[in-house]
Amino acid sequence: MNSEAQAIKGVGTPATRMYGLMAIVALGWVLLGGLIFTPEDAVQGDAVRIMYVHVPTAWVAYLAFIVTGVASACWMIGKKHSLGFDRVAGASAEVGVVFMGMTLLSGSLWGRITWGTFWVWDPRLTTTAFMFVTYIGYLAVRGLGGTAQQRARRSSVIALLAVLEIPLVHFSVVMWRSLHQRATVLSPDGDIKMDGLMLFTLLFGVFGFSVLFAWLVSHRQRIMTMQDAQQTSALDAAVTERLKEAQV
Amino acid sequence: MNHAGFIIAVYGVTFGVIIGLAVYTMKQGRNLSRTVADKDKPWT
Amino acid sequence: MDLTPRTSSDNAPLAPRKRNRKWKYVAMLVVVASAGGFIVSQFLTSAIDFYCNVDEIGHRTGCEANRRLRVQGVVEKDSLKSGAGRTTFVMVFNHQSIDVMYDGDPGGIFQECIPVVAHGRLVGDIFEANRIEVKHSNQYVAANPDRLAQSKAEPCSQQAG
Repeated sequence: MNSEAQAIKGVGTPATRMYGLMAIVALGWVLLGGLIFTPEDAVQGDAVRIMYVHVPTAWVAYLAFIVTGVASACWMIGKKHSLGFDRVAGASAEVGVVFMGMTLLSGSLWGRITWGTFWVWDPRLTTTAFMFVTYIGYLAVRGLGGTAQQRARRSSVIALLAVLEIPLVHFSVVMWRSLHQRATVLSPDGDIKMDGLMLFTLLFGVFGFSVLFAWLVSHRQRIMTMQDAQQTSALDAAVTERLKEAQV
Repeated sequence: MNHAGFIIAVYGVTFGVIIGLAVYTMKQGRNLSRTVADKDKPWT
Repeated sequence: MDLTPRTSSDNAPLAPRKRNRKWKYVAMLVVVASAGGFIVSQFLTSAIDFYCNVDEIGHRTGCEANRRLRVQGVVEKDSLKSGAGRTTFVMVFNHQSIDVMYDGDPGGIFQECIPVVAHGRLVGDIFEANRIEVKHSNQYVAANPDRLAQSKAEPCSQQAG
């Protein structure tokens, strides 16, 4: 394939195009089902519609931070210290931060309708906010400069510590007294207290957002690969330039 | 629909951010693809 | 080591753009650390012991009757009265109850038989609240007129405790 044709396709491949399409179909249903076809809740009324995006975005944020942790561990354990793992970790954290931001925003608006307030310093919201700023910090550390291996070493340590926050956030509603409700789908007793179409739309949303996550991470880690390659060739060019200067 | 403003705001922001991030990612990928050699793009 | 080609022969500053970018991330880290510290302080002072249940007032450390409290309980059926900009109701938990007075409309999905957290002080036998937050359960049931009529006919105190 010639370079210009590849440039137009960018970082896409047949596989990413396929799950990009799957994400569009699934999220199309979430939009229609969530806003139109699903019933009102007996207590919350139409406010329950926010759940169909709030829960999947929270799930994707958890998933993203777990992937960041696992990829960082792979980089650390692997003998070659492959930068591919580091790029997956970084790309996943970027996507996770965006989704966590959306979770906080949608939760805040949902809270205003149901609780009567946008924000409260209860265990779930406080630990979630802490996790959000931790991963913003992780991304800031990645941008501090140095070689790609230095970046990987610094950020992998933070990722492995930060991933421990996920159980803390998830079980905060069980460990402490919280205004936030307990888990419905992942409840410890396994009894899902949700009507059929509501549950279907929620699970479809989780599936759609997860596929979207895979699409975004695939593309963003390829972008990072090209950025790293660009930086390496700029460094090579600079060394050549200096050597020429020294010879003059 | 009760609280339509809040609900539509949530869907609008969520889907807006998703579309924005996807478009930004695709554009960034295409721009970088033009400047980086094929040997540095193992997926091609 | 910065090996970016020099732009002038008289040793001009090297790669100012790259250095600025680094400071941007350092500034970001300072903001993140400050925000993190603030959130941890909120966790230790507020989140870790978010509320006292109605039956714990005066019986549990941190739930002393003479201090500002956040109290959790269920709004008792047929106790809710609103008028003249004031809302009064009885809050029940674990077979203990307390009268609550709130200036204004609590907002949210506030209603009878729903758990709430009231922020305020105990004045005599009345809890004077200046903020009320509504808890909702992790159950999601489609609105159904028949089911609604049936649930309205049932008392809700059994939820309390």
